[in-house]
Amino acid sequence: MKIRNLLLIFFCVLAACEERLDIPLLSEDKDLLAVEGVLTNENISHTITLTFPYKMMNGKAVPVSGAVVQILEGNSATYTLTEAPAGSGQYVTPKFRAVFGTTYTLWIQYQGKEYFAQDSSVPVEPLPALDYYKVNDQYSLAFNESGQNASYIDHRIDWTTTADCLPGNTCEGRIVFYDLKTIDVNEIYKPGKTDFLFPVNSIIIRKKYSVSSAYRTFLRSMLSETEWRGGLFDVERANATTNLSSGAIGFFAVTSVVSDTTLVVEKP
Amino acid sequence: MILRRLAFICISTLILLTASLRVGAQKIPDKKITIESKDLSLAEVLEQVSQKSGIRFSYNPKRIQAERKVNYQAIGKSASEILADLAERFDFQYSFVEDQVILKPAKKNEKSAEQVVTLSGYIKDVASGEALIGSTIFIKELQVGTVSNTYGFFSITLPKGTYEVISSFIGYKHSSKIIDLQTSIMEDILLTEEPPVLNEIIITAAPDEVVEEIQVSKTNVQPRAVEERPALFGEMDVLKSLESVPGFKLHSDGSTFYYVRGGQRDQNLVLIDDSPIYNPSHLLGLFSTIIPDAVTDINIYKGDMPASLGGRLSSVLDIHTKKGNDQHTQVWGNVGLISTKLGVEGPFKKDVSSFLVSGRFSRLQWLVQLQDENIKKFSFHDLTGKMNFKLSATDRIFFSFYTGSDNYFSGNNGINWANNAGTFRWNHVITDRLFLNTTLSASGYDYFVYTDVSKNQRWNSHISNLNMKTDFSYFIKPQSELTFGLGLNVYRFNPGNLQTGSSNTQVSNVSARNSLEFILYGNHQVTLNNKWGLNYGLRFSSWTNSGEAFEFKFDDNHNPIDTLVFGKGDPYITYVNAEPRLTLQYLINEHSSIKASYSRNVQNVHLISNSISPFTSLDVWLPSSFNIQPQRSDQLALGYYHKLARSGISLVAETFYKKMHNQIDYATHAETLLNPFLESELRFGEAHAYGVEFQATKNEGRLRGTTGYSYARARRIFPDLNDGKSYNAFSDRPHQINLTLSYDINLRWMIGMNWNYFTGAPFSSPVSFYNYNGLEVPVYGQKNNDRYPNYHRLDASATLKLNKNVEKKYQHSLTFSVYNVYGRKNSVFINFNKTEVSERDFKIPSNLLVSDRTISQFYLFQFTPAVSYNFKWK
Repeated sequence: MKIRNLLLIFFCVLAACEERLDIPLLSEDKDLLAVEGVLTNENISHTITLTFPYKMMNGKAVPVSGAVVQILEGNSATYTLTEAPAGSGQYVTPKFRAVFGTTYTLWIQYQGKEYFAQDSSVPVEPLPALDYYKVNDQYSLAFNESGQNASYIDHRIDWTTTADCLPGNTCEGRIVFYDLKTIDVNEIYKPGKTDFLFPVNSIIIRKKYSVSSAYRTFLRSMLSETEWRGGLFDVERANATTNLSSGAIGFFAVTSVVSDTTLVVEKP
Repeated sequence: MILRRLAFICISTLILLTASLRVGAQKIPDKKITIESKDLSLAEVLEQVSQKSGIRFSYNPKRIQAERKVNYQAIGKSASEILADLAERFDFQYSFVEDQVILKPAKKNEKSAEQVVTLSGYIKDVASGEALIGSTIFIKELQVGTVSNTYGFFSITLPKGTYEVISSFIGYKHSSKIIDLQTSIMEDILLTEEPPVLNEIIITAAPDEVVEEIQVSKTNVQPRAVEERPALFGEMDVLKSLESVPGFKLHSDGSTFYYVRGGQRDQNLVLIDDSPIYNPSHLLGLFSTIIPDAVTDINIYKGDMPASLGGRLSSVLDIHTKKGNDQHTQVWGNVGLISTKLGVEGPFKKDVSSFLVSGRFSRLQWLVQLQDENIKKFSFHDLTGKMNFKLSATDRIFFSFYTGSDNYFSGNNGINWANNAGTFRWNHVITDRLFLNTTLSASGYDYFVYTDVSKNQRWNSHISNLNMKTDFSYFIKPQSELTFGLGLNVYRFNPGNLQTGSSNTQVSNVSARNSLEFILYGNHQVTLNNKWGLNYGLRFSSWTNSGEAFEFKFDDNHNPIDTLVFGKGDPYITYVNAEPRLTLQYLINEHSSIKASYSRNVQNVHLISNSISPFTSLDVWLPSSFNIQPQRSDQLALGYYHKLARSGISLVAETFYKKMHNQIDYATHAETLLNPFLESELRFGEAHAYGVEFQATKNEGRLRGTTGYSYARARRIFPDLNDGKSYNAFSDRPHQINLTLSYDINLRWMIGMNWNYFTGAPFSSPVSFYNYNGLEVPVYGQKNNDRYPNYHRLDASATLKLNKNVEKKYQHSLTFSVYNVYGRKNSVFINFNKTEVSERDFKIPSNLLVSDRTISQFYLFQFTPAVSYNFKWK
C-alpha cells in the first residue's frame, strides 16, 4: 500500500463519522389529526387517510376511526366518504375524477371538531422516458429533472413474478422522485440515499403527479424534514406546513396524473 | 432674631479678616529636615513632615488625594521647600493659618500652560520596529500613566520635571528611563522582547491594564497565546481560540461561527486593519482565515465597545496586522498537514519604511482527488500584505490588503467564496497631544454556487463596502483622553441572484440594494480622581438606502401588497440612531477595581440564513429597510477586576444583562434563495441574555494560560413563532468551562493543553411522527425543546525548538499536537431519518416500503494527531 493511500485512509477515518445514537425521544402526546389525501384526475375511489401521530420511529400510525368525511367539488357535488375497512382510518370516495380548474374542499368532523382543507389541481406534463442503468447483474433507476413545473413521480417496482424473487423475500419497492423546481441549500447538499436494485423483467409502474403551489410548499417543507435532512447544510427544524384548519397536520392535495408501465429489459 | 444673625455675620467677618491678616504675617518655619518616603501615601508623608518640623496640617483627605502613593526624598530641605514640591506634584495650594497649614486643591487657573509639557511618541519593538499596541507608560514620581493607542502612539502631559518613565508590554522587558522634561518632546520608546526564562518571578512595575482600564467586557489576546495553543491539524487559528473566552460560544467542531452573550452569529464584527471580513472561514469553517503569524494585536469586545467601533450588536474582533520589520528582513513559515504558510517582511529603508507579505495555501487537493477523481478543485488560500512609510516624524502611511478564497468543485458543480479587503491609513501627529488617523478601506465578499460550470451558470450573493473615516485622539492630560471622529460607509448588497452565460446575464429576482451610512462619534475617557474613572461616549449613525432598487411591502399576513421602484441614486429610507456608551470605574486599590457599563448598539446589516449548519453555506446579506428595522441592543455589565501582583494573575468576574430588539428569525422552512419576497419570510421579535463570567489569566512566566467559567442564558420571543412563547436561543448553553495552559519545561520544550466544556446546544427534536406519501414526517413540539449532548474536548501539544542556540539566525521548531485527546464524539448533527447501510454508513432509505430508520449522530475529529514544522530566518 502506498504511503499516500495510507494517509488518505488516515484522514478519512479521523475526519468525520456518523454512528447510531442511543438517546430517548422527548415524546409528547399530541392529539393531532394527521391527514393524507390526494385526489387525482383518475376515475377511481380516492382515499383519505386519517391517523394520530405515533411516538416511536418506524412506528405504526393509530387510525382515526369514526370520523365524518366529505369532499365538496366546487359548489356542485358533495361526496361522502366511507371508512373501509372499518377501523382502518381510511376513508374512500365513490368513484369520481378530480377535474382541473375546480376547487375541492375536504371537510372532516371528528369528536365535535371540524377541519377543512382546499386545493385544486394544475395540469401535469408528460412523463419523461424511464431511465435505468445496470449495476452488476441488477438495475437501478436514474432520476433526472424534467418539464417546467413542479411534480413528483411515484415508481412502484415489482419483480414478484420473476425467478429472482426468492421465497420469503420482499420483491417490490416504491421510490418517489420529487422535482419541485426549488432552489434550496439543503436540497442541493441533501444526504445520499440507499441503493435500490431490481432484476431484469421487473415491472415498473410510474405515476407523475402535478403539484399546485400550496402542495409544492407543503412537499418542500415535508422534504426539508425527511429526505433533505441530514446533509451538511440543514435548515431550522419545524413542522411541515399544512392546508388543514384547526391544528390538523398533513395535506389534502388535488393533482393531475399521467402514468405508464415499463418492463425492465436487459441493458449492456 | 435678625439682630442675632447680623451680629453673627459681623463677628465672623471680623474673625476672617483677622485670620487673613495673620496669614500674610506668618511664615512656615525654615527648619531643615530630611524626609524619605517610599510607596507612602501623601497623608503619611505629611505626617512625617509634621513630626519633624512641628507644623500641623489641616486638610480634607478627599480633596487633595491624600491616599495617593508617592516616592519622595528630601535631604536637608526646609518644610516650605518640601511643601512646594508636594504642592506641585499633588496639585494643591497651602496657606498658614494660626499655627497650622491649610491644604486645598489648587485653583485651575493657577497652573499656567507654561508649567506643563508633553511627552509623546510611539512604543515599538526594538528588533522589528513593530508598534506595540496597548503598551503602558507609567510616570513613577507622579504615579500616573497612559497606554499606547491602536496605532502604538502615546501622549502624556505632565508638569515640568525629571521623571522616571517606565514602559511595559506583555512578553517584553520593562524599560525604565530618566527623562528631563523641560519642554515637550516626541520620543519613541523601544522595548526588547523577553527572552525565554524559566523562573516564575513576575515583576509588576506598572498597574495592570485589566484593573486600570476604564473598559468592561474586553479581552486582549496576544498572538503568542494563539500560537502556543494546541490546534486542529496544527493550524493556529485566532477565531478558534475564542472558545477559551467566557461568553464566546463556538457553534460546534468544524465551524468558525460563534455566538457572543446570547447574540446571533451575524452580530459579530471581524475587522482586519479596520476592514470588515464577512466570512472568515476556510474549508466550510474547519479553519478561519485569520492566522496569528501576521497579527500584532487582537482585541475582543463582548460589549461596551468604544464609540469608534460599532455596527454589530454582540462583539467586535479588532485585529491589527504587523506592519513589517523595519530593521531587517526576515522570513518565516510553517508546514503542516493541511497547508503551508510563508511570510516575508523587511525594511525598504531601515527605520523608515517596511513591508510584509504572508500567504497560506492548502495542500489537500491531491489527497482528496485520490478518493474521488471527479473533484476538480479542493483548495483555499490567504494572502496578506502590508507596506508602511514613515514620511516624517509626524506622518506615517500604511497600505494593507487581505485576499482569501475557497474553491470546491466536483464534476460540473462547485462552490467558491472569496473575501477581499484593502486599507490605506494615514497617521498624523497634529500636535504632541492631538493624533489623527485617516482610513480609506474597502471590503467585499462573494459567494458563488456553480450549478453548471461549463455554461458558467452560477448563483451569487455579494456584500461590499467602501469606508472613509477620520479618528482624532486628543490627550488632554494624563488619564484624560478624548477620541472623536466621523466616517462614511457605502454598502452594496446583492442578496443572491442567478448569473448565466459568459456575458454574466443576470436574472434579478431579488433587488440589489445600496446604502450609505454616516457615523459621528465622541468618547471621553477620564480618571476623575484616584478612585473614580469615567468613560462616556456617543455614537451617532445615519443609514440611508438608495436606488436603483425595488422593494416590496407586505400586509400583516406577509402577502405582498405593493412594489416600490427607486431610480438610480434616489434615497428612499433613513434610520437615525444614537448609541450611548458609559463606563464607570471605581478603584478599590491599586490591584482591584469595580466597573459598570451601559452600552447601546445598532446593526443595519443582517445575515439572512435559516441554516442550522455549522458550515459556511449560501450567505445572503440585507440592509435595514422598510421590512427590516435596525437591530438594537442594550447591555448592562458589572465587573470586578483583580490582579494578583506576585503571580501576575488577572482575575475578572463580570455579570451582564442584554436586551436585543428587532431580532430576526424565519417562517417555517423559509425560502431564502432567489425569492423576490425574501423579506416576507422573516419574522421579528425580541431576545434577551444574562449571565455571569469568571476568568483568570496569566500571560507571563513559565506557566501561562487562562481558565474561565460562565453561566449564561439566552432566550428569544417572536409573536409569530412557537405559538408566541419564548424559547431557548441556539447559543443558550448555560455552562461553559475552559482551561488553556502552556508550560516551558526547559528552554527547548514547551507543552500546552486546552480543555473546553459547553452545555449542549438547544435544538428541536421530534415529539412524534406521521406518515405522508410513504415518508415518516416528524412532529415538533416547542421550538428548541431538546439539547445536544454536552460538548467537551481536550487538546494537547508539545513544541520542540530545534536550535540549541537561541541566538542563531535560523530558528526552527516542531510542533506535535493532538486534537480531542480522549476521542470525545461531539455531535455536530443528530438525525432521525437515516438507515444504517453498513458500519458508519448512514443514508436516507430509498424504498418507501421498508421502515428501518434510526437515530444517528454526525461528529468530527476524534483523536486527531498532527505535526507541523515552523521556521524563522532573521
